[in-house]
Amino acid sequence: MWHENIDHANVINRTKTTMRQTLLRLPTRNSVWAFRASRPAQIASTRRSFASEASPSPEVYDVVVVGGGPVGLTLAASLGAARTTSHLKVALIEGMDLAPIRNWSPKPDYFANRIVSLIPSTVRLLKEIGAWKHIQQNRVQSYDGMQVWDGMTGARVEFDWNKLWGGKDEQTDTTIAHMVENIHLSHGLLKAIGDLAVQPTMIDKTKVERIQYGEMTGQLDMRDWPVVTLSTGQQLAARLLIGADGGNSPVRTFAGIESRGWDYDRHSMVATFKIEDDSAFPKFAYQRFLPSGPVAILPLPGNFANLAWSTTPEKVTHLKSLAPEDFVAMVNAAFRLSYTDIDYLHNLKSGVVEETKWRESVTQHPDPPQIPVRITEVLDGTRASFPLKMRHADKYIAERIALVGDAAHTIHPMAGQGLNSGIGDVYSLVKSLAEGIRHGQDVGSSFTLEPFQSERYLPNNALLGFVDKLHTLYGFESGPLVPLRSLGVEIINRDWFGLKRFLMSQAAKS
Amino acid sequence: MLRRSLRIGAPLLHSLEPVQRAPRLSPSNIDRAIQKFSSQNARCISTSAYRRKAEAGNSTTGSRGAVDPDELSHFNALASTWWDAQGPSRLLHLMNPMRINFAKHCLQMHPTSATADAGGGESPFSKGLRVLDVGCGGGIFSESIARLPETSHVVGLDPSEQILAVARAHAKKDPTLTGKLQYINSTIDDYPSDHQVDLLTLFEVVEHVPYPAAFLQSCMRHVRPGGWIVLSTIARTWSSWFTTKLVAEDLLRIVPRGTHDWHKYINENEMRAFFEKQPGWGAQGMLSMGCLYVPGFGWKAVKGSEHIGNYFFGVRRDMQ
Ligand SMILES: Cc1cc2nc3c(=O)[nH]c(=O)nc-3n(C[C@H](O)[C@H](O)[C@H](O)COP(=O)(O)OP(=O)(O)OC[C@H]3O[C@@H](n4cnc5c(N)ncnc54)[C@H](O)[C@@H]3O)c2cc1C
Repeated sequence: MWHENIDHANVINRTKTTMRQTLLRLPTRNSVWAFRASRPAQIASTRRSFASEASPSPEVYDVVVVGGGPVGLTLAASLGAARTTSHLKVALIEGMDLAPIRNWSPKPDYFANRIVSLIPSTVRLLKEIGAWKHIQQNRVQSYDGMQVWDGMTGARVEFDWNKLWGGKDEQTDTTIAHMVENIHLSHGLLKAIGDLAVQPTMIDKTKVERIQYGEMTGQLDMRDWPVVTLSTGQQLAARLLIGADGGNSPVRTFAGIESRGWDYDRHSMVATFKIEDDSAFPKFAYQRFLPSGPVAILPLPGNFANLAWSTTPEKVTHLKSLAPEDFVAMVNAAFRLSYTDIDYLHNLKSGVVEETKWRESVTQHPDPPQIPVRITEVLDGTRASFPLKMRHADKYIAERIALVGDAAHTIHPMAGQGLNSGIGDVYSLVKSLAEGIRHGQDVGSSFTLEPFQSERYLPNNALLGFVDKLHTLYGFESGPLVPLRSLGVEIINRDWFGLKRFLMSQAAKS
Repeated sequence: MLRRSLRIGAPLLHSLEPVQRAPRLSPSNIDRAIQKFSSQNARCISTSAYRRKAEAGNSTTGSRGAVDPDELSHFNALASTWWDAQGPSRLLHLMNPMRINFAKHCLQMHPTSATADAGGGESPFSKGLRVLDVGCGGGIFSESIARLPETSHVVGLDPSEQILAVARAHAKKDPTLTGKLQYINSTIDDYPSDHQVDLLTLFEVVEHVPYPAAFLQSCMRHVRPGGWIVLSTIARTWSSWFTTKLVAEDLLRIVPRGTHDWHKYINENEMRAFFEKQPGWGAQGMLSMGCLYVPGFGWKAVKGSEHIGNYFFGVRRDMQ
């Protein structure tokens, strides 16, 4: 069909006229309170007016992004990098100070505790938007093998491209994921934003204090334009307001979009370790399912590794309180001892080193590379934890509103997909905006935003559901489901029905 | 029904000539009926009925001022839904990207327009694209073409003042449109401008016009040499008869009988034949594209479907 051959971008970009606005000053309705879609009657009667505090003249933007986390930064960089969207006038607002991230200069013998695993499709996008070239490759650890097993039955899945396909060739990217420090990623994204021809307005150390709708004036009707008011009093009117503002998204609250889910009563404990020399082995990611949650060791360059241990808040508190050597012994034991032993060890306030030594000597357990090499030391100040929850917004879009990343969905971190799916949202949203612009649509109109929602909602929902079910499935110590889940693991591991190959190729492709 | 199907086979050489009209329903009834439309198939056809309304003034009295109170209240009701993403105009909105694609394709086709910027001098678009959207309705196409950066000016023309009020109110929501988009309450015959445009569009209009030949000729005067007329309409075929007349009107009765005057539908080959006869038209570009609404997938361009149902048609006025 002819229309597929048209280079739309070419037509659009032939002239330099842009959708960018000259700075228009408009008044806003003043009787609104923070983060609530305004229903004027109700608002006026129940809430105090902010009229006197607010400047009456918001500056008009095509896109206002709330949140400068990794997803918000990726969005700002992508909008500037994609040809069709690069003319948009964009502002990004972040409550925290971005300077430490911008000026980040890492020590070679230290890795931060917040680390993400980026799947290949995420890295592809980061390359396209010019962020990956700012990532120091000697601080990135990729892995193409995974060892996942059940702490109760011992059933095991091995994902190893080299074993499965007899080594990798140049063409096939066999990487399952790349481990990168969060701050390193955000640093690279800020650099990519700095490289853009048209700079977005970056406003940090400034919170969005409230959001309300604009007003009708003689020439313009901004009554469906969200207007954000910052802690500085500054106001921005948004043709499209994007919530990249994390799990407690003020933008989502403003749009009146419900987010449903539950808390897991689990926290994820992170830490960075030094490990024994593992150069004889391939770099693998390890995850063992214990009834209280999965414990994972993820590879870092050199003799470093990162922990992600999901367990009960009480156990996390206990793990944090242990002396460093006892904590190290505890983590080593988590990959070697039976669940009964581990449970018992959780009661010890000290002396874990000695206790694990003899228990490990009498317990049969696999050796590296089936399990991680021993941890030797925990880096100072890297023990931290985060509450785990599952949330999914009822929808991602409303007129002049879109939600991306954790604002739209918060997932259990065991599959390492939270940020990856947020970046998937960004890719899809930017694509939809570009399509809308090519067809002369308002970037805030729901017709422009609909393709983004229909592309992302169901896959995200499926992922959330799948990971949530894994959590439940592996949360049982005994009962009818335990043999079943090990059977499942066996089926995958033996590559019956080609299932493993399929899963791995999906993981690499997605 | 038998009688109807016999008519389909009859040669319709005169379809661009005045058609003997069945008694017309009042336009307000038509639109009210369309709002109630539920069948997807029927809807895809019915998108044109708004246009029909718009052109009704043009065809019957030619006077734009005469508005009965019934119609007024009807349009006040319609106003709130015209731009509603889930409202009765949803299919028109979904079709709009295709209109833009097709118009762009036409404009890009000719070397003079594609290489214009480099060549300078005779560039047809050096001053930006000027567009006249005839039967613009609530402004779905007018707004979107006006937002394209290569467009310098758009006039939306519609004989209904009420519907233009909707269009004007909506355009106020976007500051980029200020000064670029103008709505004028007029029929094409009465449109006073002597500025010729680069692109004249007629979306879902010609099938509702009683004298299509005269109407098209009226439009042609407003296109500059090298400019284009781009239109969309619906072919007079078994399937369009089936979806608009039999299913929507006779069987489901979701549209009053007579809403669609199937005999006025113009086939692609008839449109082509008409423009081939017009001196100074079509020698440098005449093309069409059929499209179908596929529930769940939206509007899709389908080769060959221009002979079946909805189609786009573009024709260029020759450069002298
Ligand atoms: C222990 C743990 C391990 C994880 N591991 C992985 C992994 O391996 N792979 C993976 O893909 N994902 C992982 N995740 C998930 C990942 O961290 C999140 O999905 C990701 O951080 C979400 O990014 P975001 O930008 O959407 O939200 P956030 O990172 O929460 O950023 C939101 C930003 O918005 C700002 N903000 C909020 N409100 C306002 C306001 N009113 N005004 C101004 N600014 C505001 C905040 O300051 C914040 O910077 C993990 C999560 C946890 C807890």
